[in-house]
Amino acid sequence: MILLGELSLWVALLMAIWSATVSFAGGRMSRADLAASGERAMYASFAFVVLSSIGLWTALITSDFSLRFVASYTSANLPTVYKFSAFWGGQAGSMLFWCLILSLYSALTLFANRKRNRELMPYVTGTLATILIFFLGTTAFSANPYARLDWIPPDGTGLNPQLQNPGMAFHPPNLYLGYVATSIPFAFAIAALVTRRLDAEWLAAVRRWSLVSWLFLTIGITMGMWWAYVELGWGGYWAWDPVENASLLPWLTGTAFLHSIMIQEKRGMLRKWNVTLVVATFLLSILGTFITRSGVIESVHSFAQSPVGTYFASFLIVAIIVTAFLVATRLRDLEARAELESMVSREAAFLYNNVVLVGIAFSVLWGTLFPIISEAVRGSKITVGPPFFNTVNIPLGLLLLALTGIGPLIAWRRASVRNLKRQFAVPVAGGLFLGAALFALGMRDGYALVSYTLAGFVFTTIGQEFVKGVNARRRMHEEPVPVALVRLVARNRRRYGGYIVHFGVVVLFAAFAGLAFKKEYDLSLTPGASFSAVDPYNRTWTFTSQGVSRYDELNRQVTAVVLEAKRAGMAPTLIKSEKRQHVDSRGQPTFEPSTEVGILESLRQDVYLVLHGVSGDDRETAEIRITFNPLVWWVWYGGIIMALGGLIVMWPQATRGGARRRAEGGYVVVMQSSERQAADVPEPPVEAGV
Amino acid sequence: MVTRRRFVITLGGAVVAVATQAARGQQGAETPGATMEGDGYIPVRRPPRAGAAKRLTPLERDAVERMLSCPCPCTLDVFTCRTSMPCGFSPRLHADVVKLVDGGYSADEILAAFEQAYGEKILMAPHKQGFNWVGWLAPFAAVGGGAFAAGALIRRWGRRAAERRMAASPVPIEASDDEMARLEAAIRSDDP
Repeated sequence: MILLGELSLWVALLMAIWSATVSFAGGRMSRADLAASGERAMYASFAFVVLSSIGLWTALITSDFSLRFVASYTSANLPTVYKFSAFWGGQAGSMLFWCLILSLYSALTLFANRKRNRELMPYVTGTLATILIFFLGTTAFSANPYARLDWIPPDGTGLNPQLQNPGMAFHPPNLYLGYVATSIPFAFAIAALVTRRLDAEWLAAVRRWSLVSWLFLTIGITMGMWWAYVELGWGGYWAWDPVENASLLPWLTGTAFLHSIMIQEKRGMLRKWNVTLVVATFLLSILGTFITRSGVIESVHSFAQSPVGTYFASFLIVAIIVTAFLVATRLRDLEARAELESMVSREAAFLYNNVVLVGIAFSVLWGTLFPIISEAVRGSKITVGPPFFNTVNIPLGLLLLALTGIGPLIAWRRASVRNLKRQFAVPVAGGLFLGAALFALGMRDGYALVSYTLAGFVFTTIGQEFVKGVNARRRMHEEPVPVALVRLVARNRRRYGGYIVHFGVVVLFAAFAGLAFKKEYDLSLTPGASFSAVDPYNRTWTFTSQGVSRYDELNRQVTAVVLEAKRAGMAPTLIKSEKRQHVDSRGQPTFEPSTEVGILESLRQDVYLVLHGVSGDDRETAEIRITFNPLVWWVWYGGIIMALGGLIVMWPQATRGGARRRAEGGYVVVMQSSERQAADVPEPPVEAGV
Repeated sequence: MVTRRRFVITLGGAVVAVATQAARGQQGAETPGATMEGDGYIPVRRPPRAGAAKRLTPLERDAVERMLSCPCPCTLDVFTCRTSMPCGFSPRLHADVVKLVDGGYSADEILAAFEQAYGEKILMAPHKQGFNWVGWLAPFAAVGGGAFAAGALIRRWGRRAAERRMAASPVPIEASDDEMARLEAAIRSDDP
């Protein structure tokens, strides 16, 4: 099976080369037979990548330590689930995993478009095959998971303990699914640029894929935060590490695109900008991968220091040159069909939203790369850490939050003063009321107050939109409130799903603002000793050490401390934190010790316990840190709500009677073609499948 | 090439590291199974000031540690790293900070001492001076520039659209812009 897997990798590469060659030739020569051959080769490439992946999974599960990859990332006593997830735990396996997802997405795209977008498809296939050639080639020549060792070790090194967490099974795959999905809109953009078919057709084809990418990146980033929080033991969930930043970049530009695409659909504007965003999102996902794997920037993530960085840098440069050439030579085809008329319009609000989103993306990229720039210019190294990113991004983030509330309140094309007064009165009052209430309750942190005021404003905006929609349905159809609410969302998923995403954003910002009130205590506790601490809500907690214990588990030696936590009005609860020394099947230590945190969770705050060592002659004194983390669960809930909203937006709308239903939902007024021409409004894009 | 100064500093660091390790083995806290890394650690020591009294509270000392970057690849600050990571650096940097605080040094003096030993890289964010201003201001300049460009574009487009409307209008309308805007808004009602 392993030999078959290795062979399949090479055959998949050959198939991808064939696919790219004949697809581009078929498109150029208008030869349907060549284009069809290219598509069949892509399906074949997918099949061989699947075979190759099965081969590697087989080697991992059966602990075939003749493979360097298997010996480097697993051990005989590693639980089976982590042997399975070790596939993407190391450089070579994760490259093959990328190929697997890319070939799967490519096959799905070809299948979904087998009867539509036929003029674009040869170039779409060719572009996807070219990207696949790059990844398969890099895997085969530079990071081959089938590389053999000169001798077969009795056991492997094992998987990094921090990767032995359920989050490992979900966080990286979701990120990869998000990163790789940016390839499909990119391929359609290239095809549209090459064929000069830059109307709404290609946009309709890529919108759902952009949503797929956004959705998986949202889930992946949220799960990454959760993983960092429960596994790394530093009491936070976002450290502005270069690899974290790399995942945020395509998410930000992808979010900008999902907003600006609405302007092109409705008004035929921002055509150059949308192409640029699609291309930038793909290139940033490649850049992120380059940053992750090249080692040019220090990161806690372990992919650093590998030769694939050179391949990625070369690919990135070629992709930038090709797309820049295509865009530059098609500028006339990308001219807008209409123009913005007023600064006070929804289009303008979306444009400013794009400026801020792309601005944040720039600031994150700039901060990530500035140490290299500084070293090149000044010759001295610097660190750009959270103080920089927070100083720069908090004001921009708050501006974005404000725009999240402002956008839906302004009418398309031009808003009147009366319209603005009517729309803004309740949300502004809601935000100010919340801010004033928190100030009266004693909140004095400036950023937190502004955050909660804006969160109140956006929340009231969303509530107002739902109330208006539900009331309209109740008037028109005499439906009860729950039915009206469900139908309102179901009949206009894009609009109300978007509002649900915005609600998730509000919850996230509320959680981020909660960090301002975090409290930490470092202490040493002998068995039976107690410590009192005050939490951010001014409640006094008492922690009593139940002692330090030491024991062995399947693949680790554990030192643990248990504390009894008490406060008025709450039953005493035990919290345990561990230091784990992982060992191989011969009992030899493998990695540095890792921390297993103890968390007492609630909606208001987490009590977060970290054992960082033991001291004293008898090694019974626990050196610990207790952190009160307010509103951390809101981060996970915010991510879940955003993902849920994204799913609603993405869910296919019934096409039968679709326009009428959307009109009933209050989203659009159906216009005849003659009316559209008179109003200089382009034909709406056809809602396409995947 | 290793200079004599560098060699002495490294040797001194290694000696202190070994001594610290031995002392920790006797009475200090230990991370079960931890291995210490000596590479790159530079002791930051200053003689205590005469009649020195602590000028920093524990919270202020923690704040100083939050401004110091741990030299290990964690990308975290010293305060955060020292309890969570199996790190050979942050506990020793913490010990140096504690000694400087006990010796009567202020936060600025402690940060300066670390910067003198490690260079600016030891700070979690670059100083706001010289070329670093480019780093601090570029994001705001980019967003400000983008917003200005977008505003200018919208104004230009708005003028063109107004000119087109006027040219296309068969009958001159005697109404102000505000009245026209209100009329349009009324026609479109609340169409979102």
